[in-house]
Amino acid sequence: MSKSLQLKEEGNRHFQAGDYIGADGLYSKAIIADAKNPALYTNRAMARLKLGHWESVIADCQTCLALSPQNMKAHYYLAQAQLSICDYDSALENALAAHKLCATTNDKSLGAVTTMVLRCKKDRWGDREKKRLRMEREVEDRMLALLRKDRDDMLATEGDETERSIIEEETNQHMALLSSVFEAARAQNQKKREVPDWAIDDISFDIMVDPVITKTGKSYERATIMEHLRRHPSDPLTREPLSAADLRPNLALRQACEEFLDQNGWAADW
Amino acid sequence: MATSMRTKRVAKERQKIDKYGLPPGIELVDGNDLKEWLFDIRVLDNNPLYNDKVYQLKFVFSESYPIEPPEVTFVDRPARPVPMHPHIYSNGIICLDLLGNQGWSPVQSAESVCMSIQSMLTSNNKNERPPGDEEFVRGNKQRPRDIEFLYHDNTV
Repeated sequence: MSKSLQLKEEGNRHFQAGDYIGADGLYSKAIIADAKNPALYTNRAMARLKLGHWESVIADCQTCLALSPQNMKAHYYLAQAQLSICDYDSALENALAAHKLCATTNDKSLGAVTTMVLRCKKDRWGDREKKRLRMEREVEDRMLALLRKDRDDMLATEGDETERSIIEEETNQHMALLSSVFEAARAQNQKKREVPDWAIDDISFDIMVDPVITKTGKSYERATIMEHLRRHPSDPLTREPLSAADLRPNLALRQACEEFLDQNGWAADW
Repeated sequence: MATSMRTKRVAKERQKIDKYGLPPGIELVDGNDLKEWLFDIRVLDNNPLYNDKVYQLKFVFSESYPIEPPEVTFVDRPARPVPMHPHIYSNGIICLDLLGNQGWSPVQSAESVCMSIQSMLTSNNKNERPPGDEEFVRGNKQRPRDIEFLYHDNTV
């Protein structure tokens, strides 16, 4: 065994024992001995994920992807680190790349990666929602300030007491109306949140990310139906024989689920 | 991530029950834990065998639920006896293909299992235990889902 692989093995042992700092150091030495092995970078990225060193996880994954562009683990760890530093778009992009690789290679991590895709979508939606609400508040405050300014301008040139009180009253009405319109919009946003049945996988009860359809016309999340087929190669509804090769992606449903999640990110974790 | 699938799935079944309720005669009495639930179950028609009686089902969800079936047995307490049925042993073990590894399907749920057991009682008119009940109850150390049941009487 080469020096580099020996160091890697030793790093793995430290990692298993929970000594992530030690593992990080050993993987670094392994990389010095052999800078061209992609697995060394993903292993070090995994140790650094545990340590919360997000920026160096990102650097390791990018080095790995330069050496091996189809590396599922690199995309997966990259997504986790990017999510931790709130880079939602990149995180989702890499989670989806990892998911695609898992689906083509029938990788055991498909379930975990699917969960990661959902988390990225939910967090990205949450972030956008927060920004949108903040902007709404700002617009409301600005509009109210303009109404007040308008009133003050009119009062400055109006001497008649009756006219003055009419101006005051009108402004108060307008301000109340404006606030109630914004309030109604916010309430509308909080309206009852329901996930439609068509978007839900009947095995995990999660919203679907990559629905696949069986001979019966029923769709399931790829990760969970694969998990089921590993143990029982049968259709969950009819119990007729079913193999992974019989599954077809349901593209229209996939798109519908995506659109629903874009508007209703909370649903990723209903 | 089988662990997280169990946790989420059971939590969501719970949410659905809280939102939509359960069919008549079935009631969740303890569902706070995500590993073990208790249901009270009654038969709705006037079947003289089960009339006016309340039974209790215990569900144990393994890490691999719902890929693997839950372990479902009748509890045996003074107020909650084990119902008399040719497919139910006196220690509460239920002989139902749905609950075995072969008959189970991950699209089933705690609710659908309760309904199957309820209808299994409703349609029965034999006041008896499975053949070899005493011997089985004395000797059995296996977990219910691993038992290869022999279906002595498939007409029930």
